[in-house]
Amino acid sequence: MKRFALRVMTAALSVAIATSLAACGSNSAGSNSPDTSAAGSTTTETSAKPSETKSATVRVWTLWTDPTKDSNAAYFYKVLESAKTELANITIEHDATENESYKTKLKTAVAANEAPDVFYSWGAGFTKPFVDAGKVLPLDEYIASSGAGDKILPGATDFFKFDNKTYGIPYSKWVAVLYCNKDLFDQNGVKIPATYDELLTAVKAFRAKNITPITVGGKDRWPAMFFQNALALRTAGAQACVDALNKTASYDQPAFVESAAKLKELVDAKAFNDGCLGLTNDESAVPFTEGQIPMYYMGNWFVGNIMGKDSKVADKVQAVAFPMVNDGKGTSDEFFGGSIEGFCVSANAADKDAACKTAGYLSETMAKLTADDGGLATWKVDGVDESKINALAKQIKDLTANAKSYVLAWDTFLEGADAETHKNLVAEIYAGKKTPEEFAKEMQKLNEKK
Amino acid sequence: MERVLSNKKAICFFILPALIIFIAIIIFPIFMSGYYSTLQWDGIGKSKFIGIDNYITLFTNHEDGFIESIKNSVILAFLSVFIQLPISLVLALVLSNKVRGENFYRSVYFIPVIVSTVVIGQLWMKIYHPGYGLLNTFLRNIGLDSLAKEWIGSTDTALGAVFVPVVWQYIGYHMLLMYAAIKSISSDIMEAAKIDGASSVQTAFRITIPLIKPILEVCVTFAVIGSLKTFDLIYVLTGGGPVHATEVPSTLMFNTIFHKYQYGYGSSMAIFIIGECLLLTVVIQKLFRMKKA
Amino acid sequence: MKKIKNSNKKPVTIGGIVLQIVLLIIAFIQIYPFIWLLLFSFKSNGEIFGSNVVGFPNKLLWENYQQALTNGRVGIYFINSALVTVVTIMISSVVAAMASYGIVRMKWKLSGVTLIFFLMGLMIPIHAALLPLFMFFSKLKQLNSYWSLIFPYVGFAIPMAIYIFSGFLRDIPKEMEESALLDGCSIYNSFFRIILPLIKPAIATVSIFTFLSSWNELMFAVTFISKWQYRTLTVGIQQMVGQYTTSWGPIGAGLVIATIPTLLIYCLLSNQVQKSLISGAVKG
Repeated sequence: MKRFALRVMTAALSVAIATSLAACGSNSAGSNSPDTSAAGSTTTETSAKPSETKSATVRVWTLWTDPTKDSNAAYFYKVLESAKTELANITIEHDATENESYKTKLKTAVAANEAPDVFYSWGAGFTKPFVDAGKVLPLDEYIASSGAGDKILPGATDFFKFDNKTYGIPYSKWVAVLYCNKDLFDQNGVKIPATYDELLTAVKAFRAKNITPITVGGKDRWPAMFFQNALALRTAGAQACVDALNKTASYDQPAFVESAAKLKELVDAKAFNDGCLGLTNDESAVPFTEGQIPMYYMGNWFVGNIMGKDSKVADKVQAVAFPMVNDGKGTSDEFFGGSIEGFCVSANAADKDAACKTAGYLSETMAKLTADDGGLATWKVDGVDESKINALAKQIKDLTANAKSYVLAWDTFLEGADAETHKNLVAEIYAGKKTPEEFAKEMQKLNEKK
Repeated sequence: MERVLSNKKAICFFILPALIIFIAIIIFPIFMSGYYSTLQWDGIGKSKFIGIDNYITLFTNHEDGFIESIKNSVILAFLSVFIQLPISLVLALVLSNKVRGENFYRSVYFIPVIVSTVVIGQLWMKIYHPGYGLLNTFLRNIGLDSLAKEWIGSTDTALGAVFVPVVWQYIGYHMLLMYAAIKSISSDIMEAAKIDGASSVQTAFRITIPLIKPILEVCVTFAVIGSLKTFDLIYVLTGGGPVHATEVPSTLMFNTIFHKYQYGYGSSMAIFIIGECLLLTVVIQKLFRMKKA
Repeated sequence: MKKIKNSNKKPVTIGGIVLQIVLLIIAFIQIYPFIWLLLFSFKSNGEIFGSNVVGFPNKLLWENYQQALTNGRVGIYFINSALVTVVTIMISSVVAAMASYGIVRMKWKLSGVTLIFFLMGLMIPIHAALLPLFMFFSKLKQLNSYWSLIFPYVGFAIPMAIYIFSGFLRDIPKEMEESALLDGCSIYNSFFRIILPLIKPAIATVSIFTFLSSWNELMFAVTFISKWQYRTLTVGIQQMVGQYTTSWGPIGAGLVIATIPTLLIYCLLSNQVQKSLISGAVKG
């Protein structure tokens, strides 16, 4: 044993020397740096592959692990089925990972030139680094030649446009709404809130009756972030949000401070479920669909769960716009959401034609299914049978019928590290670790950074 | 004979496979990490050499929470050494003292060690669930509603809540190592002590513990290094959240590399963790040597 | 306290009873979470989330297990884990035993330095290798393969294995081997025919250490594997939990399936496991 101890100590010393030598070794390692060699392998790979579509295999990655997860997942698995017959000669090899790990997995894969041929992606900040690094295939040519250009709604691809090129095809638009369990509101004599003050009143009324007012899954952080983003949309208005996100305006202005202050007010009023920072979004949804918590602020994709077989609230939910803030700059025709979810094609795709075709097919067919269910499609869809659309989806469709502008979830608009910082800052408001003023100041640091 | 044992070809045959794997998997990557740590690099685009800036940022930037994460891992190391190991030691002493059911207890205490950390993490996540978890249900049932907490959902309790399973899982491991060492002590010495009329406690402090010092040193080293490296349970339970409250260097490194895409900055954390582990190994050995002198 | 010499059992005393109670309580703490897991793996959401959190299930819901195995693919993950672990154990044992033999028995100048070099690995956390290995395997197009896990696991098992083997080898008398060598037996034969059988206990010890580390490993598995076909249990479980967030029953069932076989092996071999650990820990 003594001998061992001695050995380890000597070993420790030699490592110390070794690591200090690492700096000297950096030159030789530098000539071998991964980006240069990666670029080399890209070119050889693409030129070597044949371009005929002889039963090509296209690898597709999405975040839909299970058809029952939400409505988009359900559509996607239907599309996978129909693709078997409608996309002759193309075999789709699908792999799914759940939301947060999907982001990680995709980013690492793209970085390592391991990206699948076609992948689900979020527009704006999430896709931008991939595009900047030249890892995503521009789809303009495909869109023009396949006639998809006429079918995609105007403006739908905006968040996938970088330098005037289109790098992704979205299939639907999402919008966040406040889902309210009417039964719980009625039973407790609470009014479904249309303004922030009413929301606060409702929160207090539910708390007084020992009911948790709002459920949110803060462990994933983005659901928690939704509230600050939505409040900012109401206090500052859509244009101010977009300007700040584009770094052309400051976050450090009263309207944004107020968005954080209002959130803090909600937190202090115990609006949210206990331990919300330790629960994932999926976990937090359970008490809502179980009919225990009256309010849940989520994207319209959640309609599928509310109407699903496991839900106990299918016919009890009313979807309303996020409450307005008195003397806020936001207007009621501004919504939180946007056409951000779509399919991209890897610049390294083995068979580019097949990959583009697959991406286009997935997007168009998903859009059709989305529209059939009353969702917000980004493609022109004819012959939707209005009678088959469920009431809740229709409510949301009507709610957003005259929408003037959308603001994306900030974490999808911002890039990598900035998005992380933003989500953490919001979480810190929930945890009571940051004041609204500090929040605004530190958000502004992101804009001043570069 | 001598010639056979110094045959160069044979030496290569025996050593090389292990050496090649070892260098390829451990040594070479460390150098690469060292190199990455001097870069500003998002893993996708171009990298830029920035010297030791990443290391400076580690200690000057309070927003990223690296200093907090070190503090947390040190707290964990402290708890491991001063709570986990004493429990293990007492159990080892008791069990090695010819207690009824010795084998049964030893086997049962060891069970958490062999169960996958992910299973343990998921299980404890369910135990800590604020609404339906075992812990809060139990507290409410015995009328201690006020003690029912948000556990891993609150920055106040998360750190403690995460450390409990970490410490709990490896009690059996250290117990077994110590138990083994105690059992290997010659029974003559124990018998002699008993004949001299020493009580169990006296025997433990005067004879057993000094004799198993080498294994204690190994246990302390493993416990400390293990705390500094800990990842799985925390990754599963909280991912380092809420708001960095349970962040340890390894989870922060993982998040920095794979969520924030700061490959260089994350690598500097990796290098720091190695340095920290090696430094503390040396310190622990120094401490044990001091006591011996 | 007077004791009868050489007896295995102490006379029953009040102290003894108290001790037994304390030991039982600790045993309870160590295994209760698993009992609770077993119980809720058979329950419906309704029971778990409200009516019956701690008690026995009203009705054993075997569907939970069926779901975990088929939709949750826990069976496949389990086989992957077993495959990766077994291959890792085999490679690391052989390779490390050979290296230890070369270091301890063969006569060459750098043997001491080489041993130190290997043992250094004991103190190195796997984190440092994560990103470089990731880049390395992706360049070799070996991400999403069993090898991308086996090689790192072997690499990180080698230091501990060499530590154990070299301690063992040093205590094996040289005579047998020397006489064999004098009789004209080749050094390779002497290693595989004489030494390997002699260090069987050490191989058991190494296998157990390696099993524990590679069976439970999460960080590499989560980063290197993205195809479900190659997922090991640790990642697979995480995946399944994401899939079934809303129903704890199948999650519990998956966790049980992941745990039961290791527990069974442990119950059957627990004495062997512990004996190995004992011999492994005291040597060296």
